[in-house]
Amino acid sequence: MIGLMKSMATTMKHALDGNTFTVEYPETAPEVSPRFRGVHKFSQERCIWCRQCENVCPNDTIQIVMDEQRNGEQYNLHIGQCIYCRLCEEVCPVDAILLTQNFEFTGDTKDDLVYNKEQLMNVPWYKDIDPLESREPDRGGWIGEGEGEVDYQ
Amino acid sequence: MVGFLPLQDVVLPDRIAELTGLGQFGVLGDFIAAFLAAFIIANLMLAMSGVAGPWAKRKITAAFTDRIAVNRIGPFGLLIIPASSVQLLAKELIIPEGVDRPAYDLAPLVIASSAMLGFAVIPMGNGIHLADPETGLVLVFAIASIASLGLATAGYASNNKYSMLGGLRAVAQNIAYEIPLIVTAASVVIFAGTLQMSEIVAAQAQPLVTVAGISIPSWYAFVNPFAFVLFMAANMAEVGRNPFDVPEAPTEIVAGYQTEYSSVYFVLIYLGEFLHIFLGAAIVTTIFLGGPAGPVLPGIVWFIIKIWAIFLFTQWARSALPRVRIDQLIEIGWKGMLVLSFANLVLTAIIVGVFIA
Amino acid sequence: MSLERPRPDQSYVTDDGVDYDAIEELLGEHVLGRETHINAEGFVIRPDEVQEVLFALRDQAGFDHLSVVTAQEYGDRYESIYHLKKYDDPTQELSVVVPTSKDNPVSQTAEPVYRTADWHEREAYDLVGIEYEGHPDPRRILLPETWQGHPLSLDYDQDRPQIVTLTEHANPIADDHYESESDTMFLNIGPHHPATHGVLHLKAVLDGEQVVDVDPDIGYLHRCEEQMAQQGTYRHQIMPYPDRWDYAPGGLMNEWGYARAAEDLADIEVPEYAQVIRTLGAELCRICSHMLALGTFCLDIYGDFTAIFMYAMRDREKVQSLLEDLTGSRMMFNYLRLGGVAWDLPEPREEFFEKTRDFLDDLPEATQEYHDLITSNEIFQIRTIDTGVLEPEVAKQYGATGPVARASGIDYDLRRDDPYGYYPELDWDVATDDGCDNYARLLVRMQEVEQSAKIIEQCIDVLESWPEEDREIQSNVPRTLRPEADTEIYRAVEAAKGELGIYIRADGTDKPARFKIRSPCFSNLHTLPEMSEGEYIADLIASLGSLDIILGEVDR
Repeated sequence: MIGLMKSMATTMKHALDGNTFTVEYPETAPEVSPRFRGVHKFSQERCIWCRQCENVCPNDTIQIVMDEQRNGEQYNLHIGQCIYCRLCEEVCPVDAILLTQNFEFTGDTKDDLVYNKEQLMNVPWYKDIDPLESREPDRGGWIGEGEGEVDYQ
Repeated sequence: MVGFLPLQDVVLPDRIAELTGLGQFGVLGDFIAAFLAAFIIANLMLAMSGVAGPWAKRKITAAFTDRIAVNRIGPFGLLIIPASSVQLLAKELIIPEGVDRPAYDLAPLVIASSAMLGFAVIPMGNGIHLADPETGLVLVFAIASIASLGLATAGYASNNKYSMLGGLRAVAQNIAYEIPLIVTAASVVIFAGTLQMSEIVAAQAQPLVTVAGISIPSWYAFVNPFAFVLFMAANMAEVGRNPFDVPEAPTEIVAGYQTEYSSVYFVLIYLGEFLHIFLGAAIVTTIFLGGPAGPVLPGIVWFIIKIWAIFLFTQWARSALPRVRIDQLIEIGWKGMLVLSFANLVLTAIIVGVFIA
Repeated sequence: MSLERPRPDQSYVTDDGVDYDAIEELLGEHVLGRETHINAEGFVIRPDEVQEVLFALRDQAGFDHLSVVTAQEYGDRYESIYHLKKYDDPTQELSVVVPTSKDNPVSQTAEPVYRTADWHEREAYDLVGIEYEGHPDPRRILLPETWQGHPLSLDYDQDRPQIVTLTEHANPIADDHYESESDTMFLNIGPHHPATHGVLHLKAVLDGEQVVDVDPDIGYLHRCEEQMAQQGTYRHQIMPYPDRWDYAPGGLMNEWGYARAAEDLADIEVPEYAQVIRTLGAELCRICSHMLALGTFCLDIYGDFTAIFMYAMRDREKVQSLLEDLTGSRMMFNYLRLGGVAWDLPEPREEFFEKTRDFLDDLPEATQEYHDLITSNEIFQIRTIDTGVLEPEVAKQYGATGPVARASGIDYDLRRDDPYGYYPELDWDVATDDGCDNYARLLVRMQEVEQSAKIIEQCIDVLESWPEEDREIQSNVPRTLRPEADTEIYRAVEAAKGELGIYIRADGTDKPARFKIRSPCFSNLHTLPEMSEGEYIADLIASLGSLDIILGEVDR
């Protein structure tokens, strides 16, 4: 009986102290840590089309199409398939790929989450993110002046 | 011009008949008056269940679990009530193949209406009292027990093994706990010397002791706390709440007898459950907590406060107490509660017979 | 010190470990040849002498733990490998290699020797196609019964359409009970059921409320994890997947399982600093995992969403935030790399230390709250004490490990017994309990949370005082790893649920030729029928909850 009362006292204490640990999403969005791995962003300017990201990706999320001169033509991303392992960011020698902190995106079908680089620019949840704001690239391998004016799609 | 009769002495249909002048139309008038009165009380109880189910229960559970709950629609999230109602009723009514048709359809009705009927003999204060037969207490238990029939029917007719198990569990549980429930209530009857609800309430009006100018009324919860605790426990089992929610036991048998019910039928069963909690609370209030008695506020308000307090208690228990196993449940019922309730009865009889009389 | 304990005195053991020559003598002419795996010697035996050999090894040489059975197909033969260990000293390992011919892949079953071989051999049959003679229950286990072909065999045509029809489940013991007084009822519990912790299907036969027979039907969450690992490169592509085996989240511990096997296979050194971080992360994961286990176990006993589940979730969230700071993700960490970890501690380091310390400071209060709420509650006690009893001998037969084994009084913890990482340097205890019941399993988990907190605290101290110039998080590992052909290794770590072992066979390319996962949940789940037959449905559900299985790891 004492154990039962102890249990009930414990829950009552929680009910009365008025603390809650859930938040009212989306009004209060949870803060994610600087290392958080969200949707990935790609910079066509930086990319040297070395295709390492395509090679390392464990489940073919990234697809790159090239012409005969090995110039990059297309960068397709099947974001619905991405497992956010960050291997693409890790292998990229020029930091053309960054994982942003954005985790909020939706699609009605799987097809909605397949993008090429033109579409990537027009996707609302994708367009307004400045990846440099969310993440300091952890490697010094920058090409050119990477002061925020880099065109990340 | 008809004079007003004292509030407590007249049941609601008579008052309505009097006020509206329906009384002069004989039996038909009485019938209409009774219908109106029943309509008022039924709606009151339904409204309370409606508040309790989609809103209060969620709020209370959230408070116990440190969460934020329904707060988006309307003030305090209250508009979730119509929203949930529309949502539940708009769902497709799925009737599985092979169900025992009339029984399957009747069960939710029986569950909901049996709880509803019980309120007929509960005095709620301010003259809100549908009927006051001399055998009120027996009647209310008899009516509340009809629910077991509904549960068994629902379990059997659903053509589902989980439902079947749930139905059987419900019956076993109700039988095991109804006897201690009634025997404990009988100890109150010994005190009050009557089965009539209004008389039981009246018997609790006298002061028990007066401490520093505050007189404590002789509510049977104070007179016989042991019986009160026993009755509360048996009542929890009777309405199937934790720690006795074995008939539903979501993690064991999915949802017990209500597994196969959806849409309107589900609403009826769900409503029936809440009505049962409130009916149980109303019985506790009437025979142990002085019914609608209380200072300052009108009786009906006190009555509602009391039954909500008991509802709150069931939710509190739900947050902290594990569910007992079916064999333990039956054991507690037959070996523990039954013995204790008879002991209580005999003792009460001796005390009343020897000392008071 | 707590980490040491007396070694049992046995023959067939030298100071360096197992005396393989003495064992070869013991087995005599049964031995056709010897192979050297990196972790242990392998004895090649004839397929029709399996039981004889294993009985000798179990009863005379003391190998009482069959970790896993690995089956694989070579160009010219099939092969089953029985990875044996001792519960008393898991560093004493031995492999029994049973080759069978291509045209008649039949091998004798090991089920009479080790009960756990039942399921492992079923899996071997299912995925590779080796048949086991004398097996009591030769059915498929992960794939549907109507599946055609064996997906991990070399000539499997994966483009072939599969027609999987649903047959009605029959009461398996209806015939036995036909004449008897009691009527039994067959009940499908799951795959969609509130208490099966995922998509587990229990085929239960009930006599009234009592369980007469229960047969776990697994495989609903089979995602070809082994084959996916075989198609990924060692260096990068395998590491994201261990997070998805035990997503409870036991992520870092699972990653460590793979990392340990692959690092030993490719002979990669791990800097000590990285080992400390790994230890820290793994213990954080263990707390997370045990919190979830506690919450869901109580969920099964209490009913629908009750306070305890939410409180446990709240504490788990705190740990997940720490892990997010450290690894960048809340569940799917992908943090370990071969030869170290991906990132150093987050900057500013002081903030991370402080956050972790705050959590550790709050933990005793939280634990006390759980004791108030759960363990001291009388109804909880009558529900859990003496239900789901698993005797130590039975547990060993079934290869149970982790908290399930430790709650049966088996003092077996790879962190201490087969040391890896930074554990040997730290001061902590292995939690055990002799209760053997559901209650004991809960207590062991709660004690382990406390021990993990102790380990984390020490790791934080170590990390704080680590010299700044010496913070090496990764050793130099070649971009492409090509371990030598025909090297084989089986290595295990203590994951939250028990012994998580990885077997890898290299074939000289940058991808493993065979990648076998020894999932602790798989073996632990196998004990369920033993625990719950004869008990009530409610106890069956409680026992299932107390096993703390993650279907992602059972089915892989």
